[in-house]
Amino acid sequence: MKLIRATAAWIFTLLCILPAEHSARATVARFPATSISSADGLRLTTQSDDDAALTGVQIFVSAGLAHQTRTTNGAAALAAECIVRTPVSASLAQSSIPMPVREAIEARGGSVTYSVDERTVHYYLESTPDRMPEVLKLFEGALAHPDFSGAAVAAARRTLDNRIAESEKNPFEVGVQMFRESFLQSGTAYPQYGTLATLESLGGSQVRAFYATTYRRGGMSVSMTGRVTPEIVAAVGRLAESLPSGAVAPLHVTVQPVPASTKRIIAQRDVARPFIIVGFGAPSPSDHDFGAMLVLEALLSSAFERSSATTLALGERSVGAVYFYDSAPASLVVYVNGGTGIDPTVALREVVLVAKSLATRPLGSDALKRFKAAATGEFVRSATTLYDRAYLIGMLASTSLGERGLNGALDAIDHASSADVQRVAKTYLQRYIVALIVPRQAQQE
Amino acid sequence: MRLPVYIGATFVGAALLGATPAFAAAAPAASPQAVPQLGAAVTVSHLQGSSGTVIVQRASGAPAAAVELWFRAPSIGFGDKPVPGLARVAAQTVAGSKPIVGPSLGDRIEAVGGHLAIIAYADSLAVAALVPADAAPEIVKAMTIAYFSPVISEEGFSDAVRDVAMEALISGFDPATVVRNDAFGQLFANGPDHYPVLGSAKDVSAVTLTLVRGFAERAFRAQNAVLVVSGAVSDAVLAGASRGRPVQANSPFELAETPISSVVSTSLVPVREHFDEAAAGYAWAGPPIGREDEATAMDFIADYLFRPGAGVASRAVEEQMPGAFVTGQFITLHNPGVMFVAFGDGDLTKLRPIVDRSLAQMRTALSAERFSSARDAFEYHLLSDLQTPTEMADNFGWYSVEGNLPYAPGADGKAGRYFAAAAALTPEFVAQVAEKYLTKTPASVILVPNPPKSSAAKGQPS
Repeated sequence: MKLIRATAAWIFTLLCILPAEHSARATVARFPATSISSADGLRLTTQSDDDAALTGVQIFVSAGLAHQTRTTNGAAALAAECIVRTPVSASLAQSSIPMPVREAIEARGGSVTYSVDERTVHYYLESTPDRMPEVLKLFEGALAHPDFSGAAVAAARRTLDNRIAESEKNPFEVGVQMFRESFLQSGTAYPQYGTLATLESLGGSQVRAFYATTYRRGGMSVSMTGRVTPEIVAAVGRLAESLPSGAVAPLHVTVQPVPASTKRIIAQRDVARPFIIVGFGAPSPSDHDFGAMLVLEALLSSAFERSSATTLALGERSVGAVYFYDSAPASLVVYVNGGTGIDPTVALREVVLVAKSLATRPLGSDALKRFKAAATGEFVRSATTLYDRAYLIGMLASTSLGERGLNGALDAIDHASSADVQRVAKTYLQRYIVALIVPRQAQQE
Repeated sequence: MRLPVYIGATFVGAALLGATPAFAAAAPAASPQAVPQLGAAVTVSHLQGSSGTVIVQRASGAPAAAVELWFRAPSIGFGDKPVPGLARVAAQTVAGSKPIVGPSLGDRIEAVGGHLAIIAYADSLAVAALVPADAAPEIVKAMTIAYFSPVISEEGFSDAVRDVAMEALISGFDPATVVRNDAFGQLFANGPDHYPVLGSAKDVSAVTLTLVRGFAERAFRAQNAVLVVSGAVSDAVLAGASRGRPVQANSPFELAETPISSVVSTSLVPVREHFDEAAAGYAWAGPPIGREDEATAMDFIADYLFRPGAGVASRAVEEQMPGAFVTGQFITLHNPGVMFVAFGDGDLTKLRPIVDRSLAQMRTALSAERFSSARDAFEYHLLSDLQTPTEMADNFGWYSVEGNLPYAPGADGKAGRYFAAAAALTPEFVAQVAEKYLTKTPASVILVPNPPKSSAAKGQPS
């Protein structure tokens, strides 16, 4: 087995002593301005590009994982899947036969997708600006009058079962979920799509009850990117009015403190080589430490990797870091991909060593510049699609960054100092949970 | 549409699928006199003193810019003896070689927080960076200097061989890539399309420094390049671009066009081989990029049937055979284009009929209502796939090296030639095109699952 190219100590010494070969730029260009408005209690966050060919609309509904209980685990995804499958009125679709709203929107030249996170289910609609009011109208019909019949729930369940099976093949997803279950409590700890067993136990009545308590006008917010017209804003308002008034019960998200002594969890999967997830707590975007943690993410993503002229894809990387700042609560995971030929045990030791070193010594100024540039570039590159921007501005609007949103994140990186990075490493990187995914055969032998 | 570079990237194995343009004859390059007008947001020009093309597309949105250099060059090299992987190794070597002064291109892009990818196709090569927009002028300058006056170091070369061999190894785990390589190998009797773009890890290790130097000297010239910059930039982004080496009199390869030919096989022998999982696929020779009406119809067919999550065949497979995959795309090439379909990860005796039935249905004209919806969806998919700086730059680069830049989707927004061709499609014409091209015998591939290892093979007593 190949060892990591350099030891952590060597890398860290290099970062602290050697000047960077090239200086990073002092500032970076910014995203278009974001505005937040409120209409009848509905928060609208907008980042408009007048030259865009399309419009993206992200609809956040307070119906995420945290609203589930042990017995309704999976209801958030099941309700969302049923909604996008709901047949819409024939007079709205081109066909005389009612068709699922997802297909009706596609037939109009648009799309609808959804994703489930801890707090919300967020639906994303995209089309040309002239079609968007019609697309929103179609979706409004499904959102307000979803089909939770037995047949619809069964069909939705089959789709989610397949997604669960797919995610089980991905050791990164498996490891992150293992970490989440150790770190989070109650609904937030549950998998995005539930489990095969819990989905099986959920029927139309449970999904209907979940919908009734969570799909309320007071729990909805909307973000828009691309070309945004007054007609679209008006259609969004009508869509919000289609939900019953009222607020959703407030959430109390709790975490289990990461233990001082390292906690290790092991699972077997059909993987060729071991895969390790090291999970840490992390600051939220509202926190003063947000920028410094983005810098640390960039550092941990690149400090261990072999030098390559081209940027390595996720699956090619031996060690990488992902900061889930949009999760509630936020977390940072560092992964070690044994499939690339590195020795996972050595790599894990190196990760831990670097985490400890970062807490004891400040980064040199050149190293800080380098990783701030990397963090800035990573952040900008992660928000180039309408979908990503709509999601991020909507999500960040609910934090203290507010209208500053994406540019607030870039400012936070700019303002991070060596002392901030050291403090954040000391605060968050000294306690961790290790999730180890090993090949089934290895366990048997 | 052109083939996307990545069809999947997982921790199990990142899957690189290079498209393989095919040439029956030399593709024409833009001449200095022929500068197409692609709308108010796009400027097309030539590098000063060179026939190389420069395209700048200005857009608002994220403060990011794609900076890409495209070269027309065969993946197997210019010599008589094909060297699979040579183009990719050469481009990687240049990006990783450190000049006497300053960092390598790869390090320079990393220092500004950028991302660098190099994608080889059978007859072309893309060096693609995505960087914060204000770093774009610096990267335009660095990239043009690096490639138009290439420095090739031994360290850069050895790192490149290591990295490309790893990439080739990973791509070998992807069933769609393996099917594609086999199908193209069958469809084209010789030329670059006949060979895997990356080659095998063994092929890559056979590439020598001398071969790389020779390839770089011939391929990486301003006269043979298309520079594309897309994103939150102005035309001033080009201020520092290098003009490259001067044209040398009597040089055998200073012409912008590089003759690259792949010959379509006259007899097709189906491929059957072992792989980790069951998979299969087809490839048909289709219309050239110059037949815009037919090429657009083939794109429509691919979108209607195989668009992930929305195509008729894709959805049927998703519903009826969860866990299985089907992928299909018309690859718009100079001549001929190729319709490629792959499917697997499930019972092929059930998967194949779904695919075959879907393709056969295209020979009957869709109802007017259904066709209208499908075309709306098709046009939306085109726009949705052209919303980031990288997508736009890839698009302009690809259609430029294939010899029909004005036909690039997104050129002049929806007022351009591609959308005009899409708007002119009729159900009857689509059916005619399907009949014309998809009833011929395709190159076909079947991957049979490897037999289970015997206990003896594991070193246990039998």
